[in-house]
Amino acid sequence: MDCKRILVFAEQVNGELQPIGLELLGAGRRLADKLGATLSALVLGHNIAHLPPILIGHGADQVFIADHPELAEYRTLPYRRVITDLIKSWPQPPHTILLGSTTTGRDLAPRLAAHLETGLTADCTELDIGPFEYTNSKDPSKSGLFPDCLYAIRPSFGESLKARILGPWKNPQMATVRPGVMVPLPWDGSRQGDVIPVPVNLDPGDLSLQIVETVRNLSQAVDLTRAKVIVSGGYGLGSPEGFELLRELAACFPNSAVGSSRKAVDSGWIPYAHQVGQTGKTVRPQLYIACGISGAIQHRVGMDKSQTIIAINKDSSAPIFKFAHYGIVGDLYQVVPELIRQMQQMKGEINERANSQPFQSAGERIPILQGR
Amino acid sequence: METFVLIKQVPDQNAKAGINSDGTIDRAKAKRMLNPFDRYALEAALQTKRQHGARVTAITMGPPPAIEVLYEAIAHGVDRGILMTDRRLAASDTLATAYTLAQTVRYAGRPHVIFCGLQTTDGDTAQVGPQLAERLGIPQITYCEAFEIRDGIVVARRAIEGGSQIVMAPLPVLITVANSARRLAYPTLRGVQRVQRLMRDEAARAEAIQILNLDDVGADPERCGLKGSPTIVAATEKVGEIGGNCQVFQGQSVPQLVSQLTQAVDLFRYAATS
Ligand SMILES: Cc1cc2nc3c(=O)[nH]c(=O)nc-3n(C[C@H](O)[C@H](O)[C@H](O)COP(=O)(O)OP(=O)(O)OC[C@H]3O[C@@H](n4cnc5c(N)ncnc54)[C@H](O)[C@@H]3O)c2cc1C
Ligand SMILES: Nc1ncnc2c1ncn2[C@@H]1O[C@H](COP(=O)(O)O)[C@@H](O)[C@H]1O
Repeated sequence: MDCKRILVFAEQVNGELQPIGLELLGAGRRLADKLGATLSALVLGHNIAHLPPILIGHGADQVFIADHPELAEYRTLPYRRVITDLIKSWPQPPHTILLGSTTTGRDLAPRLAAHLETGLTADCTELDIGPFEYTNSKDPSKSGLFPDCLYAIRPSFGESLKARILGPWKNPQMATVRPGVMVPLPWDGSRQGDVIPVPVNLDPGDLSLQIVETVRNLSQAVDLTRAKVIVSGGYGLGSPEGFELLRELAACFPNSAVGSSRKAVDSGWIPYAHQVGQTGKTVRPQLYIACGISGAIQHRVGMDKSQTIIAINKDSSAPIFKFAHYGIVGDLYQVVPELIRQMQQMKGEINERANSQPFQSAGERIPILQGR
Repeated sequence: METFVLIKQVPDQNAKAGINSDGTIDRAKAKRMLNPFDRYALEAALQTKRQHGARVTAITMGPPPAIEVLYEAIAHGVDRGILMTDRRLAASDTLATAYTLAQTVRYAGRPHVIFCGLQTTDGDTAQVGPQLAERLGIPQITYCEAFEIRDGIVVARRAIEGGSQIVMAPLPVLITVANSARRLAYPTLRGVQRVQRLMRDEAARAEAIQILNLDDVGADPERCGLKGSPTIVAATEKVGEIGGNCQVFQGQSVPQLVSQLTQAVDLFRYAATS
């Protein structure tokens, strides 16, 4: 079958591409190459002619662009109309459609899937293409060997399980992917691609919902995604005061933030904005220190791409020790204060040494710190 | 005014019972509970009852014990319940679930507003609400944190990345309620007494809670359950180690453990340069 297509929905806000679109192109490129398919990006909005070159530079073979005043800001029904019209205008449906698990992607994807009567897997953390052989006595019509299916992989309900969800019986196979998980391709200005305008034919009914006001206050967001060091606390803290201790540890690092597991958030010890994991943020700092966190899969998927993971947990059989790089088995209320003490002591020694070298300028002290 | 609220019974993830050693769920043994997100949907539905005298119907699809969540809803003040239960529903994915629920909603009446939870803790997809809205051909407001209904129009605040949005739509509309919305209060005394009566009196129960199957609502069995589900869980894999083995320090005094750690990882580098 020629003309296979992987379609990526690229979100924009006020004419600015959102990172998730480029992340999806990074993942989509790999799938498209494996499948021998075209990687198409789809972007909707108004006055967005500057976006297709960015999408092409990040891996798209072609970009479908719908530019219309009614599409300026995302709304379910107009977007649903334009996208399903486009897909139905093609002689065959795309092999795969990918969207982000953002408030927009999770609003739109299920409507598309229901309209196209096809399968959709939510909140994936891994994607792949591969074969699948299936026999089912209850529904023999589904049995067979399917050479190229989308493997949509996501955490499952259990504590340490991932589920591989497949739906090769019908195209498009659809998935939403968590932001921050996939890695965009580096920009390559020499890449070529077609830009194809998409017709926009809206129904009056599509416009029944109106946006009165949109407020985005990004500075207020806890900047977990940009911190280089994250000190995270879980249910093992036992009380909200535990986070005070963790803030102290975090303060030992200049570019740091405090994170948490969901159980600590659900217990009301810290606001949701700090939550790391499947239903929180995905982070990949240089250093992640998990204190009193067991390491359930739903937490793990949000942080296991961190460069170095240190776990402090009193239970040596906690799953977090299966994937952390370093661990201390012990009571965090003893270990963390000692860690803070040693950090501060070391800092003091370093400063002392730097100060005892009288002719050194402040700027030259920094290499000494780095040399530690 | 007619309000529907869709609720689901899920395994209790905090109870260890029913979690197999390989991490899968034994649904027969697992403790059951009302999906925590659906509590916010229930509260939103009850708000329409308090403010507009709406009649509130709670709908659930699941095996027979799922009737428990309908009792719970009634204890909180819901007027009537509908249980969609049928062996042919086993292995439904979200597409099949939304189809079945759409047929059930159509059978049950013409709601002005339908509330869903944002997502379930077992399915965990946040898909069923929007898929149901698509099937019913009505607009949706997802991630709703607060709303007001006046003169057939709903004005709602929904959460978006890094902020919020105020939207306005004519009824009917489907709303998925975020867990930053209003919390559900305690059951009412009247509600609890009503449930006690329903549990004793089969005739009263049958009037308050309708138990339906696919044929009752004219659902096509081919579009339900396993047959109507385009996706399956093909495999679950246990998550193993990532980048090699964890270097674990234990069995010594705390200062020794911490020293070993700081010798193994150059923490001071992060403190100085990060
Ligand atoms: C659909 C779904 C989505 C989810 N999304 C997320 C998510 O986004 N993020 C998330 O984190 N979780 C999420 N979860 C929950 C997840 O499954 C776990 O329940 C949760 O991560 C556990 O949090 P925890 O590790 O803090 O608590 P626990 O599992 O209770 O672990 C506490 C740990 O602390 C240790 N401990 C106790 N006292 C001390 C002490 N004094 N010193 C040192 N160690 C101590 C214990 O040994 C234990 O290992 C989700 C679950 C579901 C079903
Ligand atoms: N079996 C069901 N019965 C009733 N409502 C459901 C069912 N499954 C899902 N829902 C509704 O859809 C919402 C989202 O579910 P999910 O897509 O599974 O995350 C839930 O919070 C419920 O309001």
